[in-house]
Amino acid sequence: MSAETAIATSALTKRYRDVLAVDALDLDVRRGEIYGFLGRNGAGKTTTIRMLLGLIHPTGGDVEVLGSRVKPGASDVFARVGYLVESATAYPNLTVRENLDIQRRLTRAPQAAVADAIELMRLGEYADRRAGVLSLGNKQRLSLARALLHRPDVLILDEPANALDPSGIVEVRGLLRSLVSEHGCTVFMSSHILAEVAHLADRIGIVHEGRLLEELDRDELCAKERLYVAVGTPGLEQAATLLKDAGFSHVERDGGRLRVFAAEERVPEIARVLVGAGLDVTELAPVREDLEAHFLRLTGGVE
Amino acid sequence: MFAQALATEFLKLRRSKVTWGTLGAFSLAPLGIALMMWIVREPGRAAQLGLLGTKANLAGLEATWPVFFYMLTLVVGMGGMLLLSFIIAYVFGREYADATAKNMLALPVGRHWFALAKRGVAAAWWAVLGVTVLAESFAIGLVMSLPGFSATLAVSAVRDSLLAAGIAYLLAPVVAWIAMVGRGYMPPLGFALGMMALGQVFSKTGWAGWFPWSIVPLLIGAVGKPVTTLAPGSLVVVAFMFLAGIAATIAQLRYADNAQ
Repeated sequence: MSAETAIATSALTKRYRDVLAVDALDLDVRRGEIYGFLGRNGAGKTTTIRMLLGLIHPTGGDVEVLGSRVKPGASDVFARVGYLVESATAYPNLTVRENLDIQRRLTRAPQAAVADAIELMRLGEYADRRAGVLSLGNKQRLSLARALLHRPDVLILDEPANALDPSGIVEVRGLLRSLVSEHGCTVFMSSHILAEVAHLADRIGIVHEGRLLEELDRDELCAKERLYVAVGTPGLEQAATLLKDAGFSHVERDGGRLRVFAAEERVPEIARVLVGAGLDVTELAPVREDLEAHFLRLTGGVE
Repeated sequence: MFAQALATEFLKLRRSKVTWGTLGAFSLAPLGIALMMWIVREPGRAAQLGLLGTKANLAGLEATWPVFFYMLTLVVGMGGMLLLSFIIAYVFGREYADATAKNMLALPVGRHWFALAKRGVAAAWWAVLGVTVLAESFAIGLVMSLPGFSATLAVSAVRDSLLAAGIAYLLAPVVAWIAMVGRGYMPPLGFALGMMALGQVFSKTGWAGWFPWSIVPLLIGAVGKPVTTLAPGSLVVVAFMFLAGIAATIAQLRYADNAQ
């Protein structure tokens, strides 16, 4: 684990009897980045997060957070970690302020941290209300306040936008960005909402059936949004060779057709190359490959 | 970090309605005994008020300090065992019922401190309940001017009550462990009720001194004549249950998956 790494997993595996929830996951989250952990429901995101926090123990592999191995009995590293796992929960009989005061005491944060967290998450109006009577959105805010209260170096957030209204989502997004840019915080956030991750993450790991299928950084993410031209022809191999020879450098096979990554204006040129070589062209259509389409294709969903 | 964990556990307990509910419920016990004493002493007026039914059988009861203390010891011993199980089930089980366990397991505080802090607040609360009930009982007995008081009797009653309360406390870690494994309130309460029922059965056998939940009934005379001193074997059994329960709760917090 290098000094640049905030979270690292190696061959991280969790098996529940016959179910392989997480399968040999290798992650390397760099310090100061927002890493989006994207996957469908049941992909293994929450199980992975629980293992990062030592809430459940891996069947195999290791987890390191900020250079410390997460293992039973190791608790010091969590002074520098804030987290929110799955649903927002709090002690229902205690007020918002008291719930946060518990976190303050246990993380040895200064007295003022409670008021700061309340202000940061705009919970002032509810500070002296019992957590049990808060709306779901405000419970989520309370959980986020709890995670942020001690100004951790690493934030591990499981579906942080859950239950928040659109303005709350934008607010949290801004907050996370400022934590990264102003305090050098590292954010590891899981989500099944593509737009949320695409808006925020510096890098995205796509997980499916417990396996990390792909990691994309911002540039690669933009590349995924390039236009391509879908080409259908009976001679796919020959067409691919012809197109590459004609200067179309990025041609890939996609089932019974080709994806030729090129601008829409080059569609006539593609047609000329293929028809000129005597190939029948059954499909020739410009398509915008966005992250959603890419994700669905990658995880076997309906495109 | 124990101090921080303890302070947070006290805050949780202080703000809970259950805490005050247990105080209210346990405080009713001496009042109930006092009512029985009064009925025995004033059967005519009790009948007039409809408190003494025609089929009521309070024969053998006397409105005296020795009987009052005997009944108090029974209530503190048997009722207390159940009430303490309820408190323990609440203190440990609420983290799972409210889904807050995950919030305390990835903190810079060793998980064992939470187990010990919870035991600490339960002990403190149990002591408050015990002292309150004993003080209330003395006050009621004095107000009723019950005959037969002696310092020796009072010391003996307090000693037996505290011993029964102490043994109940030593058996409670196992209940805490069941609350954590069962992730809520019902499994530990079911376990405690089951063990108390079994304890009654074992109390009538030669194994009474060896079955942990028979020892309190044996001590206070819930079945048969109270024993004056516990056999060393019984003390070993109780000590073993206490240590095993503590070790199990700590191991549960430390090594079990918390996939709540």
